[in-house]
Amino acid sequence: MTTQTIPLPRAMQQDEKSTLTVLLALFKQRKTVTNGVSKSIFSKSLKHVFLIFSGLIMVFPFVWMLMGSMKSNDEIFSNPMNLFPEQFRWESFIEAFNSAPFGLYIMNSFTVALFTTLIVIVNSAMFAYAITQLKFRSQTLLYFVVMACYMLPGAVTYIPSYITLANLGLLDSHTGLVISNAASVFGVFYLRQVFLKVHPSLIEAARIDGAGEVKILWAIVLPQCKAALATLFLITFITNYNSYMWPSLLITSQDLNLIATGIRQFFIAEGNYGLNWSQIMAASSIAVLPLLTLFIIFQKTILSGIADNGVKE
Amino acid sequence: MAEVILRQVEKQYSNGFKAVHGIDLTIKEGEFMVFVGPSGCAKSTTLRMIAGLEDITAGEVIIGDRCVNHLPPKDRGISMVFQNYALYPHMSVYENMAFGLRQQKLEKLEIERRINEAAETLEITQLLNNKPGEMSGGQRQRVALGRAMVRKPDVFLFDEPLSNLDAKLRVSTRISIAQLHQDLKAEGQNATMIYVTHDQVEAMTLGDRICVLNQGRIMQVDTPMNLYHLPANKFVAGFIGSPAMNLIVATLIKENEHVYTQLACGTRFLLPDDKAQKVSDKIGQKVWFGMRPEHISTVANTSQAPSEQGDIALTHINVIESMGNELYLYCKLGNEQIISRIPFNPDDSVKHNEDHYMKFDMSHCHLFDIETEQALLY
Repeated sequence: MTTQTIPLPRAMQQDEKSTLTVLLALFKQRKTVTNGVSKSIFSKSLKHVFLIFSGLIMVFPFVWMLMGSMKSNDEIFSNPMNLFPEQFRWESFIEAFNSAPFGLYIMNSFTVALFTTLIVIVNSAMFAYAITQLKFRSQTLLYFVVMACYMLPGAVTYIPSYITLANLGLLDSHTGLVISNAASVFGVFYLRQVFLKVHPSLIEAARIDGAGEVKILWAIVLPQCKAALATLFLITFITNYNSYMWPSLLITSQDLNLIATGIRQFFIAEGNYGLNWSQIMAASSIAVLPLLTLFIIFQKTILSGIADNGVKE
Repeated sequence: MAEVILRQVEKQYSNGFKAVHGIDLTIKEGEFMVFVGPSGCAKSTTLRMIAGLEDITAGEVIIGDRCVNHLPPKDRGISMVFQNYALYPHMSVYENMAFGLRQQKLEKLEIERRINEAAETLEITQLLNNKPGEMSGGQRQRVALGRAMVRKPDVFLFDEPLSNLDAKLRVSTRISIAQLHQDLKAEGQNATMIYVTHDQVEAMTLGDRICVLNQGRIMQVDTPMNLYHLPANKFVAGFIGSPAMNLIVATLIKENEHVYTQLACGTRFLLPDDKAQKVSDKIGQKVWFGMRPEHISTVANTSQAPSEQGDIALTHINVIESMGNELYLYCKLGNEQIISRIPFNPDDSVKHNEDHYMKFDMSHCHLFDIETEQALLY
């Protein structure tokens, strides 16, 4: 790069010193801008590399399971790190499906998860609305009590919950499973954070318009929180669909098994451990399908977020 | 279509802070009342107490012939237009306007009729299917007005509705609101309107009467003209008017049967006889001397000594601001900074950083008690 000396116009020469200062400042600014651009590209690339790496870590077990389901049992153990099978064996899926009533288990899981999720959303929304939009004494205390429950390890609640359900005669039933999971501390916490972002003037406008609190929740607040509701739906559904420990304690009848307990019972608990890994993986892949479908359905809503909130800040 | 009466209304928060100190105010049926005051003066709090969005600690709010202290907002016969529009973002304009009417269980046809009527008045018919996110600030505010209109309330409440609009839109929407008030009056609806603003221009142009608030207390309630020309106290004198009234500490002195206001720098102005009579008991005492900028004008060099004339002072012009049609002169009079507003005249020789004689129109002067800050001349 060559440098040229550009003669300054006469008018500028009178104030040559200050002009040079300006040019120097412009040059410095340009240099800073160039540095800024390259820095931004570098940090962007770094972020992408990190995200790709994290994504691969997340997706690897799933891909490994899917590929494993198409390998023979020997192939899985002889070369576990080989991702692709030597020969794609689709029959594992048919064998797995025929060896146990997976259709029924998936249906059980789906039904229990769906009802639990719907009740959780209704409960959490009403609770979160009360602690964010209504004014009453010990509002904060109530919230702290909820948060304190969040700190409890899940296993601590198993015995009292089991005894309560036994007293209600709801052991070994889907109703018992749904009722025992019908309140979600996470749901309350999550929706509280979301409802706090709803502009108070919208609630006040609705009150002046004559709407009651349930109407405001249903017609004004919830439609604005679609993304959060979809997220909560998905998280709660997946948790309940995949739930293993609590259903394994509560459910004893074969035909009431959920998918996670069903897979364990048929392929592992009955002494086949180490023999039918390809079938286990095939069954697990089948079990994941409804969740994947749900995710695809909700993905757009979750990503859409909250667009315009109708108020001017 | 209802009178609004506030009787000893107080608001105290749980932390002990008292925002409103026993307000007494009667807003007549069909009146356009503006609450104006600086930030934190409790004008919005007072409005929200009328609306029922804020609890009242003590006192009574009466709308029409009912004490509404314990009534929810929906039963008070009010509509409110919010500063941030508060339109339901997921609903179309039509749905926004219909929401309140549906809660009243009105017939579908009646709802449609009212919405179309309001939409025509506010020229938003073409926007009825749009969502708030697809509209400009001005359009959103007109929809908010429409939503309030269709409910046909007894009292309209406006909480700084133009604050989020740009200057041009603010003027046009302000005119729309004034027009709405007149139209409703012409239709015989005679709706009472209470409007909160911190903008004096809005207050002066819209209000039948203005209630000036400061620190939770009413400073003065009067017509815009009276507030400007006959401020009841120093606060109102300084708050209403732009540029603000010049307020200087002066001493009242009597010499040769004439009463003068003498500034700390020694400059003195002769009080007209009618005004001098009203402060005859304050001779020798300090007072606040007030003069609006438009009552201070430039004069060509005078042959007489300023002290002999009693209304001319020598000032030093520090800064001149040109407004196009007029000039604001920021001058130094002794140690005091004063502002003069004069019409722009290309032949004028006014220059900054120069001494210049100024004429104080003493027939328009104001005097306020130094302690109580109440007006002494009217």
